[in-house]
Formats: sequence, structure tokens, C-alpha cells
Amino acid sequence: MRLTSWFATYGPSYLNGLVGTALTALGASIGAILWGCGLLLVRLAGRRWGSGVVDAYVQVFRNTPVLLPIYLIYFGFPLVGLSWPAVVCGGLALVLQNGAYVSEILRGSFKAIERVQFDAARSLGLSPWNTFRKIVLPQVLVYSLPALGNQVILVLKDTSLLSAIAVTELTMQAKLLTEQTGAAYEAFLVVALLYLALVFGAELAFRTAHRALHWSR
Amino acid sequence: MDGGSLLLLVRAAGVSLLLAVAAVVSGTGLGIALAGLAFSGLAIVRAIYRAWVYVVRGMPVLVLALLVFYALPAMDLQTGPYVAGVLVLAIYVGALFAEVFRGGVLAIPRAQWESAKSLGLPPWAMLSKVVIPLVARYTLAPYVNVCVMTVKASSVLSIIGVWELTFAAREIIERTLAVFTVLGAAGALYFVLCFGIDRTGRWLERRLMARGFVGEPA
Amino acid sequence: MIEVRGLKKAFGGIPVLRGVDLEVADREVVALIGRSGCGKTTLLRCINFLEEYSEGEILLDGEPLWYRHGPRGRRRVSEAEARRMRQRMGVVFQQYNLFPHMTALENVSLGPRYSQGLPRAEAEALGRRFLERVGLGDKLHAYPAQLSGGQQQRVAIARALAMRPRVLLLDEITSALDPELVGEVEDVIRSLLAEPIMMILVTHALRFAREIAHRIAYMSDGQIAEIGPPEQILESPRDPTLKEFLRRMR
Repeated sequence: MRLTSWFATYGPSYLNGLVGTALTALGASIGAILWGCGLLLVRLAGRRWGSGVVDAYVQVFRNTPVLLPIYLIYFGFPLVGLSWPAVVCGGLALVLQNGAYVSEILRGSFKAIERVQFDAARSLGLSPWNTFRKIVLPQVLVYSLPALGNQVILVLKDTSLLSAIAVTELTMQAKLLTEQTGAAYEAFLVVALLYLALVFGAELAFRTAHRALHWSR
Repeated sequence: MDGGSLLLLVRAAGVSLLLAVAAVVSGTGLGIALAGLAFSGLAIVRAIYRAWVYVVRGMPVLVLALLVFYALPAMDLQTGPYVAGVLVLAIYVGALFAEVFRGGVLAIPRAQWESAKSLGLPPWAMLSKVVIPLVARYTLAPYVNVCVMTVKASSVLSIIGVWELTFAAREIIERTLAVFTVLGAAGALYFVLCFGIDRTGRWLERRLMARGFVGEPA
Repeated sequence: MIEVRGLKKAFGGIPVLRGVDLEVADREVVALIGRSGCGKTTLLRCINFLEEYSEGEILLDGEPLWYRHGPRGRRRVSEAEARRMRQRMGVVFQQYNLFPHMTALENVSLGPRYSQGLPRAEAEALGRRFLERVGLGDKLHAYPAQLSGGQQQRVAIARALAMRPRVLLLDEITSALDPELVGEVEDVIRSLLAEPIMMILVTHALRFAREIAHRIAYMSDGQIAEIGPPEQILESPRDPTLKEFLRRMR
């Protein structure tokens, strides 16, 4: 039957792309969230210069397209002796860019949550690091969950840009299949649908996580 | 990096800006039309709106661009890369603007709708004297945001062969290998464009604040 | 005069008005009081057709409003008709009345200019008069954000009056105000007692209602449970739920 033979011929390519996209997005998302937490720490711990440094960082990445850091790392690192695989270069660029947005989200949540709690923790004798780790961060993260979910979806869509540096993911596979078969439209449509499915899945996952965590509070 | 390359980058930045401006203008028109659909009396029209926005925002801009670039020749339309590029951006940005405008309309307090109705204002007066001025003021900040996003999205068109700032930068790098300086310069140029748009937006906000108000109701 | 006969309305199956009858005579002031959810605000909004109602009639000076009864049952009047009818009633809400992007004068002249088609100079002259009437002649070009809550409500009253309505509908217009600003609004309402205008006000301010209302209607569970002059309602109430309501309000 047409459908099963289609799956047999093209299935593996799409699957490759799907896995590549999903794993890259997952890695870059986790990295971006960690990096964003790190930036929040710098902002809180850096006294007078912390906020300034992080603000400057955020402004740079807010006002430049993400393709530039991708090219910078991919073309530039080999020139300074770091020959990393394309997916790592691309992933790092995504982390640096999206980490800026994550830090802004966390900053907003931090301002919204009652400072009293944090001060109370400090007066109980918790060290600043422990206060950050056990009191500030968990609350800020849970409060930010919906916005972080949005950001993860943006990361997911940004992974398509890694096709410009030949990373195996959905858009790359679509381009390859187009060149191989000449049936341009079909490949891009399938890939578009797959992205929509991934986005839908991610949204569902975050909504469920938010509901689950909210009950336990 | 030599002066010639720098000049080339500045020219390319101008192209990126023009692409963005064209996309914002057409995208705003499209966004207004779409937002009209969002408030249609027919449930099916509203559903079409939601589906369209979901699809356009759910896929990466690059995939949308590839779809449009390959669809045009398939429909026997030979447009240049720039027209196709503006079309892609307009479709993408149009959906974003539609959501912004829709949010603006929803932000109007009920009492203002009802006051306008109670004054017996005819529909055209209600629209031009009340709804549009209010929505324009509520949506100024997110509108400017989308404009900045348009400039950044224009860099994606480089992957499809549209000559603009990112494309020019990559061209120069492949020729000269001056990766850091060229990309640094390109980044600075994008920064100037985006930051400039953002600051203009804030200046406009301040001007409107003095003349009445801007932003969502308290 | 206004006549409300047998008004019924339900919100998704839950009855909110269970048959309301009310008559307001020319130049009369009626206050609607009652617990939240008793239907007083809904009644007000039905009179102005901001809410539809399922049964009953509303007549203004003998003319039936909002629905036409024909051979094939009841039909809503056209939008243009509804607009004409609405212009004969002025409404002031609890808050967010004024259009924030217009000055006080622009707010007040908006209706006369675009609903009644007056030329700009005339509409503005009218606006100026009514703003002076409410004591804000020096705030013509102020934006709502520059006015206090009390001043905003006064502009809203001026705006309603500028349409020369037959009746003024006031929905808890002082409830959202800081206490020290309530007086200036009540002063304006008091000054309207001399005008040939009917007033229906939904209010929690019993002291004020006693002072200016000719009659107070107490609503409970979608109906007018008791109606009469303020002394009767507030001092010798007959309805048991009204007694309880007054006890709680003390």
C-alpha cells in the first residue's frame, strides 16, 4: 500500500530528524534554564555590578538574531582551536541566547514573589547560597513554569536554524529529502506538521506539569 | 576587516531594515484583518482564526519560509526573493500582530463599551473615536516588540538566499575568514536597528503618556 | 414615566429576575437596594438594554422599548432603533466610565456630536455648560488620569446629562470612591432633584438614599419585595428579609 511503502522509504529520515530536533531542543532547553538560573545568581550575588552585567548581556542577546551566535561559535571556535561538533556549537548558541530570556523570566518572578520569605530564611541563619538553592530558586522556578514552557517552545522552533550548519534535525532532513526526491512540497509539509505536533506535545507536558506542581503547593 | 566589507555590511543592514519595514506595514494590515475575524459573529470564522494563528506560530519561521518559497513557483508565480521574503515575514508577523490587536480589544473595560453604547454612538464613530484609539494605546508596547522581532526574523531569510545583513556577513566570512570582526560588526548593526526601534517605542509611549495615557488600564 | 411590567430574566438557566413590576413617575427618584445577587443591577441594565430579558415589557413615556410584539411573537428592535432609544437614558457606572484618551470636554461632547449630530462648536458649548453645571468648568481640558475619582464620576454624570435624557440610571456610582470624594458626587445628584428628569439608582448608601429618594425599592431573589417611601422602608419595614438586610447594614 502506498502509505506503508511511504513510511518505509521516508520514515527513517523523518524519524532521524525528529529525534535530532527533540534531543537538541531538550538539551538546549535544560542548558538555557540552568544558564538562566546562573545569570539570576550573578544578578543577586553581584551586589552593585551584578545587575549591570546581566542587563548588558540580556540587551545584547535581545537585540540580535540567534543566527549570529550560531555562526560565531560554529565558524569561530575552530579558529581558536576548538573543533566541536556542529550540534554542540549550535546548542551552545541556543543556550546563550535563550538563557538571556530565561533570566528575564526568572527576574520577573523573583520580583513578584514575597521578599519576606527570602528575608525570613536569611534571618533563620541559612547561608546566602543555601537560601538561594533551597528557598529562592524552587519558588521562582515553579512560579515561572508557564513562561518557561513558552520559552522551551521557542527553543524548539529555533533548532530549525541549526539546519544552516548541517545539524541533523527536522528541517535539515526536509532539505535533504527535497534534494533527493525533488518533491519539495511534501517534505516541508510533513516537517511543518511534525513541528506542530512537537509544539502541541510540549504545551501539553507543561500544562500538566504546572497543574501537578500547583496542587502540591 | 576592511572598510569595503564594513560598507557592504551597512548597506546590507539597510536592506534588512527595508525588508522589516515592508513586512511590518503589510503585516499590520493583515493583522487588523485577522483580528476582525477573531471577533466575528460566526463560530466557524473564529475557529479558522485560531487554527491559522496556531499553525503560523507553531512552526519555525524557517519552515514557513521554505513552504512559501517552494509554493510560489508551484503556483506559477515568479517573484523575486525579496517579494517572497516580505511575504513570508508578513504572514508570520501578521499572525503576531493579530494576537496583539485581539488582546488590545479584549483589554477595553466593559464599562467603556457600555458607555459608548449608552451614548448611542453609531458603529463608525464607536470604532474610530473609541475602539481604535484605545487599542492603539494599549498595544503600543507589544506592537514595538513585534517590530523588533521582525528585524530579527529577517535574518532567517538569509538561509533561503535572500541577500540581507546575515547573508552578507556569511559571504564575507567565507571569503576572508574574519569571523569575529565580521559577525561582531553585523551584531552591532542589528543591535542598533533593534535597540533603536525599542527606544523609539519608549519615546512614543512617553509622549502619549503626557497627552493622556498609554498602556493597559490599572 | 417609566413602566416595567413582569420582567423576567435568567442567566444560563438560573433565574435572576422573576417578574419585576415597577413604575417611576416623572421627576421621581427611586433607589434600588438589596443584597448582592438580588438582581438590582440586572434590573437597571435591562432597562437600558445592556442585558436582554426573556419576558416582560419596558415602556418609556408610553413607548414600548427594545422589543416589538408582532404576529410572529417578539423581536428585538433594529440596532438603529435601539441606539435612538438608548439616547433617552443616561447611564453612569461604578468606574471606568470615561474614555481615558479624551479630555473631560471631549468625553462630554462626544455623544452630542456623534450621536445627535451637533456641529462641533455647539457640542463643545453644550459640554462646557454641563461641566460647569457639575462644578468642573476649570477642568475642561484635563484627562481622566489627571482627575480624582470623584471628579471623574462628576464628568461621567455631565456626559450622561449632556444627552438630555429622560432618565438617569446610576449603578453604585460612589461605591468605588474613597470616602472623602463621595460628598462631591452626592452634591451633584442632589442638585439634579430640581431637573425634569427621572432617576433610578442602585446603591448601598442608605443614608443618601433616604435623603434624595422619593421611594426605595428593596429587591430580594429577583423580585421587588417591598417598595415605599424611605421612612417606611428604612424604619418600619414589613418584609422579614428586608429587616434582616437592614440589621446587617447597621
